[in-house]
Amino acid sequence: MILTTLEGVPGKTIVEHYGLAQGSTIRAKHIGKDIMASLKNLVGGELKAYTELLQESRQEAVERMVQQAEELGANAVVNIRFATSSVAQGAAELFAYGTAVKVE
Amino acid sequence: MFIRYKQPKKPPEGNVIKHSPLLNFAYLLGTVVIISAVIFVALGFFADWLAVRISPETERKIGDMLFHTISDEEIVDDKRIQYLEELLESLPESGETTRLPLTIHLIKSDVVNAAIMAGGHVFIHTALLEAVESENELAFVLAHELGHFQNHDPTKSLGRSLVFLVASMALGIGTSESGGVPDIVFRTGELTSLSYSRKQERAADLYGLSRAINRYGHGSHSLDFFKRLEEEEQEQGRLLKVSQYFSTHPLSKDRIVILNKAAAEKGWKMEGDAKPLPEWLHCPNMEECEPDAEE
Amino acid sequence: MDGLEILIFLFLLILGYFSGTYFEKRHYKSIRERERKTLHVPMVTFGAKQSLPEAQDAQLFVGSVVISVDYFKMISATLRNLVGGRVMVYESLLDRGRREALLRMKEEAMAWGANQIMNVRLETAAIGGRSGNNSGPGSVEVIAYGTGIR
Ligand SMILES: [Zn+2]
Repeated sequence: MILTTLEGVPGKTIVEHYGLAQGSTIRAKHIGKDIMASLKNLVGGELKAYTELLQESRQEAVERMVQQAEELGANAVVNIRFATSSVAQGAAELFAYGTAVKVE
Repeated sequence: MFIRYKQPKKPPEGNVIKHSPLLNFAYLLGTVVIISAVIFVALGFFADWLAVRISPETERKIGDMLFHTISDEEIVDDKRIQYLEELLESLPESGETTRLPLTIHLIKSDVVNAAIMAGGHVFIHTALLEAVESENELAFVLAHELGHFQNHDPTKSLGRSLVFLVASMALGIGTSESGGVPDIVFRTGELTSLSYSRKQERAADLYGLSRAINRYGHGSHSLDFFKRLEEEEQEQGRLLKVSQYFSTHPLSKDRIVILNKAAAEKGWKMEGDAKPLPEWLHCPNMEECEPDAEE
Repeated sequence: MDGLEILIFLFLLILGYFSGTYFEKRHYKSIRERERKTLHVPMVTFGAKQSLPEAQDAQLFVGSVVISVDYFKMISATLRNLVGGRVMVYESLLDRGRREALLRMKEEAMAWGANQIMNVRLETAAIGGRSGNNSGPGSVEVIAYGTGIR
């Protein structure tokens, strides 16, 4: 599966498209990590635990999008975009969407 | 054909203003503290201005409303109330009138306290009657409360607390979202209002002493009650619960010193004999009772 | 009681100031070094209207970082909220976040062998402040993503 943020895939041509493919996850904050984070909030710097947590979640959203695209019969997803929105106190939705296409 | 990339010599910068974080912080803190102090002082004066202009009828209504929210156990039909009322009535200068009739409320309590509320409601705790040792002491306490009333202090402080409540609600202080800082705003306000209370206390003290001297011809023994309270407070530390008097009447340590100095300046007589209290003042209805009979 | 609270507040403020300044200096040093090292690979935000460059492979790369304020910055910003004006203390925070996210994406793409990164997009999201309340960005997540081509 080829994933790009471009309108197409360099060196290949799009022969068919299958419409939108999307994947999302909603993650709540982790209480243990939250305690660490609130300590880190005092001194500043990167919250590695949160970076990783959100990376994993975003990866999962991408995997779901890919799975959708595969089911549609695509071999690439183009023009991918990510978005983050907080849906509730302490929970965030991460989602990825793009256009499922077949390239040759 | 794809556009050529011309590599810059160094990574671009310029999204961050170079500044001294500490100076920035000092500027912010200074601005917030000064502005909030000015606002609190201005609001305080506004509340005072308003408090003095309230009509006695309105004050009575407000006082009655507040009075009904108090759930303390009040003693009624007791000869002691009559005694206290007579003592209180004897205190104002001849010709001096109170804008409202004062009402004595005798409260059954183990905590030493006396206070006056808007509308002329005077609260005397029974523990106070047990704590005073001469009529001079009791008269001074009552005259002090009378002084507060004549200076409109209860309505002023009521106005202040209302104004500050509204102001702090407008600023969002006291709601859970405050992350520590608005305390600065609040503390500044607290300090300014406390220093004002001290001034009110001094005025009430001076009035109280002058009325006691007027009644007894001298100021001796009048201050003994405070001397004892203060000593007790110092001995037992600040956690003393037996007396709430200092929490409703905040005072500086040098209260008695200041009063003595003022008396010396005015040439007030500070020597004389104490007038004893009625023998059974600590008993219900002033009828003879066991020495430690709790009411 | 009040004295203790003020002491804790002052302690946290000083701790926040010194640790925050230290971490920020160290972070900027690392950012500038890595940016210089990776400067020869261009990142662009176009990708649709421009014709696509000749390439064998294309792949999605994502870089992200969650970066936290320190106590000093947070208090400064809360005071700033009352006064108004530019929140200068947060500028460096977001600047660091964006550059770090871009670098992470770029470094990953370069390890794969990318000679440029196309159609880069950046996004910033505030994630809850201290102890779960949402007043002001306690920390921000910045993500950068684009297509590496080789
Ligand atoms: Zn008083």
